[in-house]
Amino acid sequence: MKLGANILIGGALFLVAVLAGVFAPWIAHTDPVMDANLMVAEEPPSREFWFGTDAQGRDIYSRVLYGARISLTVGIFAQLVNTLIGTALGLSAGYWGGWWDDFVTGLTNLLLAIPSLIFALAIMAILGPGLTSLLIALGLTNWSFTCRLARASALSLKSQGYVQASKVLGYGDLRIMLTQLLPNMLGPLIVIGTLGMGGTILAEAALSFLGLGIRPPYPSWGSMLSEARDQITTAPWLSVFPGLAIFLTVLGLNLLGDGLRDILDPQSRSRRL
Amino acid sequence: MKHLALLFSFALLLAGHADAQTPRKGGTIRMTAPYGAGLSGLDMHNTPRANDDIYGKVVHRTLYNYDSDKGVPVLELAKSVAVSNNGLTHTFKLRDDVFFHNGKKMTADDVIYSFTRIMDGKRAFPAARWVRIVRGAVDVEKGQATTIEGLKKIDDFTLEMTLTDRVDPGFYFYNGNTAIYPAGEADKPEFLQKPIGLGPFKFVEHIPGSRLVAERWEKFYKPGMPYADRVVIAIMGEAPARDVAFRNKEIDLSILGPAQYVAYREDPNLKNGILEVAEVFTRHMGMNPEFKPFADKRVRQAINHAIDTDLIIKRLVKDKAYRATSWLPLTSPAYDKTRKPYAYDPEKAKKLLAEAGYKDGFEFEWTTSQNESWGLPIVEAVLPMLARVGIKVKVKQVEVNVLIDLRNKGEFQAFILSTQSGPDALGALKCFHSATPMTACNYYRFKDAEFDKLVDAAGQTDSADERNALLRKADAILYDEAPVWFFNYNKAVMAYQPWIKGLQANATELTHQYPEHIWVEESSPAK
Amino acid sequence: MLAYAFRRTLQSFPTVAAVALVVFVLFSVIPGSIATSMSDDGRGAMDAEVVQRMRKELGLDDPVYVRFAKYVGNLAVLDLGTSFRSREPVSQLLAKRMWPTMQLVLAAMGFAIVIGVPLGFVAAMRPGGVIDAVSMVTAVSGLSIAKFWFGLLLMYLFALKLGWFPTFGYGGWWYLVLPAVTLGVSPLALLARTTRAAALEVTNADFVRTARSKGMSEARVVRWHVVRNVAVIVLTTLGLQFGSLMGQAVVVEKLFSWPGIGSLLVDSVFQRDIPAVQGCILLIVLFFLVVNTLVDIACAVIDPRIKYT
Repeated sequence: MKLGANILIGGALFLVAVLAGVFAPWIAHTDPVMDANLMVAEEPPSREFWFGTDAQGRDIYSRVLYGARISLTVGIFAQLVNTLIGTALGLSAGYWGGWWDDFVTGLTNLLLAIPSLIFALAIMAILGPGLTSLLIALGLTNWSFTCRLARASALSLKSQGYVQASKVLGYGDLRIMLTQLLPNMLGPLIVIGTLGMGGTILAEAALSFLGLGIRPPYPSWGSMLSEARDQITTAPWLSVFPGLAIFLTVLGLNLLGDGLRDILDPQSRSRRL
Repeated sequence: MKHLALLFSFALLLAGHADAQTPRKGGTIRMTAPYGAGLSGLDMHNTPRANDDIYGKVVHRTLYNYDSDKGVPVLELAKSVAVSNNGLTHTFKLRDDVFFHNGKKMTADDVIYSFTRIMDGKRAFPAARWVRIVRGAVDVEKGQATTIEGLKKIDDFTLEMTLTDRVDPGFYFYNGNTAIYPAGEADKPEFLQKPIGLGPFKFVEHIPGSRLVAERWEKFYKPGMPYADRVVIAIMGEAPARDVAFRNKEIDLSILGPAQYVAYREDPNLKNGILEVAEVFTRHMGMNPEFKPFADKRVRQAINHAIDTDLIIKRLVKDKAYRATSWLPLTSPAYDKTRKPYAYDPEKAKKLLAEAGYKDGFEFEWTTSQNESWGLPIVEAVLPMLARVGIKVKVKQVEVNVLIDLRNKGEFQAFILSTQSGPDALGALKCFHSATPMTACNYYRFKDAEFDKLVDAAGQTDSADERNALLRKADAILYDEAPVWFFNYNKAVMAYQPWIKGLQANATELTHQYPEHIWVEESSPAK
Repeated sequence: MLAYAFRRTLQSFPTVAAVALVVFVLFSVIPGSIATSMSDDGRGAMDAEVVQRMRKELGLDDPVYVRFAKYVGNLAVLDLGTSFRSREPVSQLLAKRMWPTMQLVLAAMGFAIVIGVPLGFVAAMRPGGVIDAVSMVTAVSGLSIAKFWFGLLLMYLFALKLGWFPTFGYGGWWYLVLPAVTLGVSPLALLARTTRAAALEVTNADFVRTARSKGMSEARVVRWHVVRNVAVIVLTTLGLQFGSLMGQAVVVEKLFSWPGIGSLLVDSVFQRDIPAVQGCILLIVLFFLVVNTLVDIACAVIDPRIKYT
């Protein structure tokens, strides 16, 4: 793909999703929860209901727009938590080494070993459904790749001349990590972050599908898909539109990440973690 | 001559017609176990789940069967029963032609063994709930006795059973988890892998999560039965997957959800293969009277008036339910056909609320599961309706397990569930008796002296008509007091292939088919 | 080599122990229990006496440290306990269902490798070209599709409409095809992208240029260096994906009535059959660690320059 195309297309898709969520109250046609009219339940797309109506008689178009808010919030913030935890652990582990490094590596292996979906499922079962629980569950279970990346970067960067020089000059560890190591690994981190966001959005859909997602009756793309699963053969538009929304957003994030990787990290050491 | 020829051809015609109704011997019945989480194991005593009883009816037998035509339990493993001692002692004359799948003949010893095993307090078998009605069973459960005092073997085929209460033992021992096992066999570890039962088919293999296979038991005690050679139960919890498999003719029976119900009804190829039955489950929203607004009868009635129940049934549940007019279901002999359900009347609801002091409405928390028929979608549909009369609802969605836990502990303001309300009408209404503790089944903390009197009287009488009349009156009190929002009675819908005959419209659970009655015609792709 | 394998195995023990601990803690605080799941989703009344006895018999009311001690004690003698649901030994349950999941995961990975790696190579040959673009978008799409819908789609097309495969079930290899493809779509996508990136990077790397300048023919260059490096990366990715694939197999197993450990795990979680859950997770973790050790050894064999301490 031409260098810019990935970023352009991916960025555009993602931007559309974000704008849809942000401006939902203005561009939606109805209230996503209260405006339910059972008389028009499960109607296919029409001039009045662009995406059709769901089993409760609610406008799917409006619900997809509002659903962007939840799905993207989960995607963005859970990934933020992931990145924070992963970077903090990985950076410090790579820099300090020793027993802390062993501990963090062990922890990372632990996380990689337990299927993350099951881990998140168990946490959700304990905390009960809801936005905060989702953020905690997804934030706590998906930081391993970020951690590995940060650690590998720290390992290779810490032997650089300027870092050694800073140490000699008496700079504190924290200062070195934050001002010298972190900026040099931002590129790959952003790439993993973007790609990871797609993963958390899909994870939210999977958790909703298994029955432990967002607190109802607010819509999220995942819970809309889950509600529609028995009507796939009878009313496909119930799943097509939220499904397309997830697909296009995650596609956009993936393309964006790929494009950013081509620019920021052409050597792309990320695979050798 | 001409007359003879006519007569001859007429006879041929008749004979051909009769042949079409003669059960064909052979073929494979391909059932599905459609409820989530597969089979929990092969030991019937250990499970109260409807899903497991699908297998139970194929491989095992209980003292009574449920007769779908008559709507009552009938003797199965016994030829007759004599009632004495003021209705407490039942003397069973067991059949003497029943053989276990290991060739051993069934005797009273096996019944005693099975019931004693069920009451082993250390194993905590769910079936203990039913066998506890036998006198002395509680002592075995507590470990104070090794045999059930109320079960006496008179001879090999005569069993005397004394109960602690005047009830019809049929309602207790038609339940699949009171299956009769061969004495001494069930405690061998291989029994859990290769069960031995009395059913029309004997166990062949179980691939957990995929299927269970059983083949004809040649020594089954009903002559000529079972008709089919094999039964295959496929574990298929996902409705759309069943839909595809059914259309592809890979399964013979499939329970339909509301969405498929509509699609199959409208499909000319499928609409003639639908079996519908009004089942004995009442869907309802239970209200906790300890939560102040719900303590007032007017509030509870207001809620019943505020919800357009018929619309929800028609549009959301796709007519796959019958409007509830009180607690007892349509098929109950004590059901009052003349009573009209609560009318949809938001104005009246607002008036009642104002009278009760909630002119500006109030807010409550509604605990629900994700279930499509009596869970979240229903709650979501009711939300705007209650909002219109000023009642705000906070939805608390939890797993079904957790919902049950909260309900049993009384930690809820309102919950929505589907609960069995038949075929034992007396047992069902006893749950609203004030003497019944909340931990047993009076989750609604219902207390009404008049109601108690009626239910007590119904338990004392021997006349079925009188009992039904009393229960009908009690049900009417429930209607008036409205401890719950009466939602609907379940309509079970099962799609079946055109080559399957002999299905029973079992109101207790449509998937519980006694397979000896089912036969498979030539046109089945499964030989 | 053997010493390395041995050392890695030893290093796995703390991980397994940690997993056992985490799982134990998680499931001691989870609300609901096997006793409540006995009510058959609320259809019938729960018998209070039975519930009480069940809790006592299964040790659900014991204090946490007692339960933990019993758990650890059992694990030490490799006793995985008895399933709450079926009263069978957990090891028996796992033994019956482990192989089908292995079949499914291996078949899915096989499908992913056979289609994904060549796709990645082809895309890398002409970066920026049409094939590159199309295959990458397809690959990226694979990561974005939810398995439930994809599986149903495959069922509808290839079982119902075309009749090539059965809709569901477990038996000969033809039952494996649809589930394996459903599960294999996301590792396929990941592999295609990873292979492409790895191949691109390697083709531009110094040592390839050196080899070229030494006069090696193009084909030999590719075959020797590129393939070897890519193989290492592919194997590593696969190894890491293994655990996640076993988790993702859950949805596929339920859809196709595939008798695997994924559906057992999810059913057990929802029914709070704690010994079964613990057993499943430990088994999955063990396999993950074994597979990754094997992958690391294989990588060392393929590319001796990779040194392991």
